Amino acid sequence: MKPYAGPLMLLVIVGGVLLYRATSADKAPPRDFTETELAGPAPDNEGTCYSLSTIFIANGVFGGVPRTWTSPRKGAWTLTLEKVGEGAGGPVREFQTWTFEQHAEQVRMIEADASQGYPKDIEENLNRLLEAPNARGSTPVDRCLKDGGTGYRYKKKQQ
Amino acid sequence: MRFTIAVVILLALCAPLTACKRSLSERDVRAFIDKADNAARKRYAPEICELRGENFKMKLTFQGDNRHVQPSEMEIGRSLYCRNADRFARLRQYELERHSIEIELAADRKTATVDAEYIEKMPFYDPNRSPPASPFDYVEVQILTSHDRSVVGIEGGDIVFLRTETETEQELVDKKSIPALLTD
Repeated sequence: MKPYAGPLMLLVIVGGVLLYRATSADKAPPRDFTETELAGPAPDNEGTCYSLSTIFIANGVFGGVPRTWTSPRKGAWTLTLEKVGEGAGGPVREFQTWTFEQHAEQVRMIEADASQGYPKDIEENLNRLLEAPNARGSTPVDRCLKDGGTGYRYKKKQQ
Repeated sequence: MRFTIAVVILLALCAPLTACKRSLSERDVRAFIDKADNAARKRYAPEICELRGENFKMKLTFQGDNRHVQPSEMEIGRSLYCRNADRFARLRQYELERHSIEIELAADRKTATVDAEYIEKMPFYDPNRSPPASPFDYVEVQILTSHDRSVVGIEGGDIVFLRTETETEQELVDKKSIPALLTD
């Protein structure tokens, strides 16, 4: 029995790790996904010059608002932001949901949903999200750092 | 000798499992609700939050003081509930009284349904006015009369709320017209 004790223990550990990885779902998209440039609205889907994470940081998405990532399918991620707001009759749940999908070198917003008072239109959501990085002069993706780099609604930071 | 040591180690490792709950009794559930009420009185968000299960859902029907306006309804999950408990922690004056409790155990004793009635009193900070200068900067007290129907169950060996449905009626009264609220 003794000669098998080591390999058996190793087998149990490897099995445990594999089981853990198989049963635990990802709670957030990989960095590659959030570091990808967000595309503007269809049909052109011109790049916005900002990565998804830059846009989220500029908009304070990683602040105190509860956020949940879910993946409806491979290569697509849905972000839900929610809070309890004050409605006319009492507390109400306010939410915004954006679904992004990877398309080659871009991430595209393919769906938007929201509670009353927030836009549901994809173009309007994109325009709103782009206001903060443009106003702050957030760091664009490499493509737009070069001279002449342009993007949807992109305003190059004045030196 | 080696075998005995192995058995002792195994028993020691299994000992914590004996503390895990496998079925509910009415006494357990009552003690759990007392604990939850005390956590609410302390308004300590982490303690309030840890008593909610991983997939906890809360459905709230709220009838505001103005009875001409339709009641609001919302359903929220654990993360938003916990975030809101965090806001609740900012209150300096708060009172909670439980007026009734009824517990019904499921046949398998894995879950129980708890019906309870509460009266809460706390300052009312009008959301349409500028934020208060201090926690004492309010003119009205809101008295919330609630009927809670909760399902509690066992998760990870501990009793937790699995879901709660609350119907609340709000009444606003001048703070001078009632005895001063308890302050931390």
